[in-house]
Amino acid sequence: MVGIMSYGTYIPKYRIKLADIAHMWQKEPQEIVSGLRVEEKSVSAIDEDAVTMGIEAGKRALYMANLDPQKIESIYFGSESHPYAVKPSSSIVAAYLQMGNNYYAADLEFACKAATAGMQVTVGLLSGKQIKYGLVIGSDAAQGKPHDALEYTAASASCAYLLGNKQGKLIASLLAMSSFTSDTPDFWRRDTTKYPSHFGRFSGEPGYFTHVISEANKLLKENNLTPKDFAYCVFHMPNGKFPRVVAKKLGFTSEQLAPSLTVDKIGNPYSASSLIGLAAVLDIAKPHEKIFFVSYGSGAGSDGFIFETTPELIKKRKRAIPFAKQIENKIYLSYSSYLKHKHIL
Amino acid sequence: MLAGAVLWPLSISCKYNSMKTSPVKIWRRQKKVAALIGEIGTIVQWTLIRVPAKAFAQESPYPIIIVKLTNNKNMIGQLIDWKQEDLHIGKKVITVLRRSYTEDSESVIGYTIKFKPYETD
Amino acid sequence: MKIQILGAATTKFGELWNVSPRELAHEAIHKALTNANKQPKEIDALFVGNMLAGILGKQANLGSFFVEGLGVHVPAFHVEGACASGGLALHAAINSILAGQYKTVVVLGVEKMTDYPQDDITAGLMAAGSDEERNAGATFPGIYALMAQSYMQKYRVSEELLASVPVKNHYHGSFNKNAQFQSPLTIADVMKSTKIAEPLKLLDCSPVSDGAAAVVITREETKIKGRSVYISASEVGTDTLALHDRSSFTSLTSVVTAAKKAYAKAGIIPQDVDVAEIHDCFSIAEVIATEDLGFSQRGKGAKDIADGKRTLFQGKTITNPSGGLKACGHPVGATGIKQIVEIFDQLQGTADKRQVEGAKIGLTHNVGGSGAVAVIHILQI
Repeated sequence: MVGIMSYGTYIPKYRIKLADIAHMWQKEPQEIVSGLRVEEKSVSAIDEDAVTMGIEAGKRALYMANLDPQKIESIYFGSESHPYAVKPSSSIVAAYLQMGNNYYAADLEFACKAATAGMQVTVGLLSGKQIKYGLVIGSDAAQGKPHDALEYTAASASCAYLLGNKQGKLIASLLAMSSFTSDTPDFWRRDTTKYPSHFGRFSGEPGYFTHVISEANKLLKENNLTPKDFAYCVFHMPNGKFPRVVAKKLGFTSEQLAPSLTVDKIGNPYSASSLIGLAAVLDIAKPHEKIFFVSYGSGAGSDGFIFETTPELIKKRKRAIPFAKQIENKIYLSYSSYLKHKHIL
Repeated sequence: MLAGAVLWPLSISCKYNSMKTSPVKIWRRQKKVAALIGEIGTIVQWTLIRVPAKAFAQESPYPIIIVKLTNNKNMIGQLIDWKQEDLHIGKKVITVLRRSYTEDSESVIGYTIKFKPYETD
Repeated sequence: MKIQILGAATTKFGELWNVSPRELAHEAIHKALTNANKQPKEIDALFVGNMLAGILGKQANLGSFFVEGLGVHVPAFHVEGACASGGLALHAAINSILAGQYKTVVVLGVEKMTDYPQDDITAGLMAAGSDEERNAGATFPGIYALMAQSYMQKYRVSEELLASVPVKNHYHGSFNKNAQFQSPLTIADVMKSTKIAEPLKLLDCSPVSDGAAAVVITREETKIKGRSVYISASEVGTDTLALHDRSSFTSLTSVVTAAKKAYAKAGIIPQDVDVAEIHDCFSIAEVIATEDLGFSQRGKGAKDIADGKRTLFQGKTITNPSGGLKACGHPVGATGIKQIVEIFDQLQGTADKRQVEGAKIGLTHNVGGSGAVAVIHILQI
């Protein structure tokens, strides 16, 4: 059996209210906030990046698992804001986590599903018994172009999962996984360009909805399950609206979805988004509950997973900082300070 | 081949002049720095720098603090994610890894130990 | 030991845009030689104290560079110890004479700072600190600010009381034609100046300056016209590079150690010192120095200065009659030698409007970095 051994989330301390961004561009704040269903988003400190945040989350996952970092045999780091275009983030994180030298490593990019793709790779290594412990990190200090629609939701955070194949140590077993992928240019960033581009509403139907729904239906069908069999569902959260719409379309209730909606509090931290939603669910789930988890990455694809929690979750959770607790301590930024933090000023 | 031998050292020296951080130094220090992440300490003295060092201009004003760690050794570092109430002797802090030298776009990225207020949660 | 000062001189200190480092050196050396009644060909060696020529001006090989200012190619040496470069160059020169290698030596302290942008100067001066301090974004005002915080908390001293240091030194500077600043300051002026690093403000800090100073020293014993001035002690102390590695933030062990040795060598006690030039790179530095040197009790340094105990025409053991680093200026490598020039003038009775009546015993206190190195000289007639 392969599954999750522990997890760690890291949300930077800073926030900016969507209303303050709207004011800058003389837009109606209420319109923006209710349209996106997000009030504020997390902002990285001026000296944070995907790597430093990844290290924080990684440390927390290691603490929860109480594992010697030298025992980790793989690290896959997914981001859209790797500090280098060429030079791996994964090895930097591994060095600062004191992982030694005996591990598989690579950086991944697949928009917001880079880290869930990393999870699937790690599952492969674990299932093939090539490794016993593998670390997966999704981390982004997302860049939103000023005055662009995505400026309101592009956020910063990181999330780490330690995966393993020792049944007794798992807090959630993996029952099934699959992916649905196509080549759909809904959102992209050219090599030397600072900000991503997107094609507005094209990211909706042909992008997010097609892939999440196709993957979700495939995963349910191939495993003979329906939404009623699950305690919780988690979807990638580009804004507060899309996951709510897709959950309803698939037949999940709002109660099943609610605990995962971290977007309401911090916006969309890209590669960390769906992972943090899953972590928020694990923060409160009981043993023997099934969790339905489908991510989305523009370009485009969806990775689907079915997890089932174990009694070990209750024990290990004592060593976690719940998402709800983490977001309590925050400092609000003005729009100009926000620009400084994002190195636009 | 001779022309290449003449031109090569010229282009290398131009690039090294604009590089502010030595990748070798970062690499050599990495193990020591890694071992210092997550250490708890208390502030034994603080000041608020209002006229910054050049590389820190964007973060000005910023506090620098002298911290006594639990192993009784002193360290000096920048305090980040801070509020005015955090600036007092005895305040508990924890070490984190953050980026240093934010301006130069060519050098290897330096990561350094800074301090964050420690909230017992 | 018997080292005699034959002559000494400084250039004007200040923002000397028109003057190059070579010209500064030439002026100081030749004025000192004239004062000493010596010709360049009578000089056996040149010792140079300078900190920033290499860091900012990319010029090394400073012995050879500055010996051009002497005009004769004699052995020439560059000595560096951050802001104590001048004092250390004198110490090295004295040792070379005591060793019997040279007889008559010129010691030059020189610094040209205003050719460079402020940011580069700030960064250049931080070369005197440690890596960890630089990585933390510390500046020199920041490091001395940490000392000021500790001192003020420990002894319950206010910022206003610390401000009496620059006020006194500007008063003294008003009598010094070579000083960078010759106008007086009030406590209010200091208090409302721009904040640099809590609690230090702009007027608590010595300025950026250009300048040079030179002395001619020898082992000869012939009495010269006027009074013979001897160096009766030259002692050095060191400590950790970084402030946070030390056991105290309100005292410099390097100074205490060097001063103890110097007093013993010269056979005097602190109260015997009539006049002293103190390294007041920041107001707090002078306060701590007067305690480390034994002129004031621990915790009483600032109050003694505020009460006029160290002020010209009022107190005993007058400090910084030249205006100190604050008013006279602080061309880093030159300061240590300028201090010697001032005490030499005081003991010779040629200190003009700044004269301390009946001065017989003088002391110079020159510090590098935040106290990593200190050099103490005692001069007597």
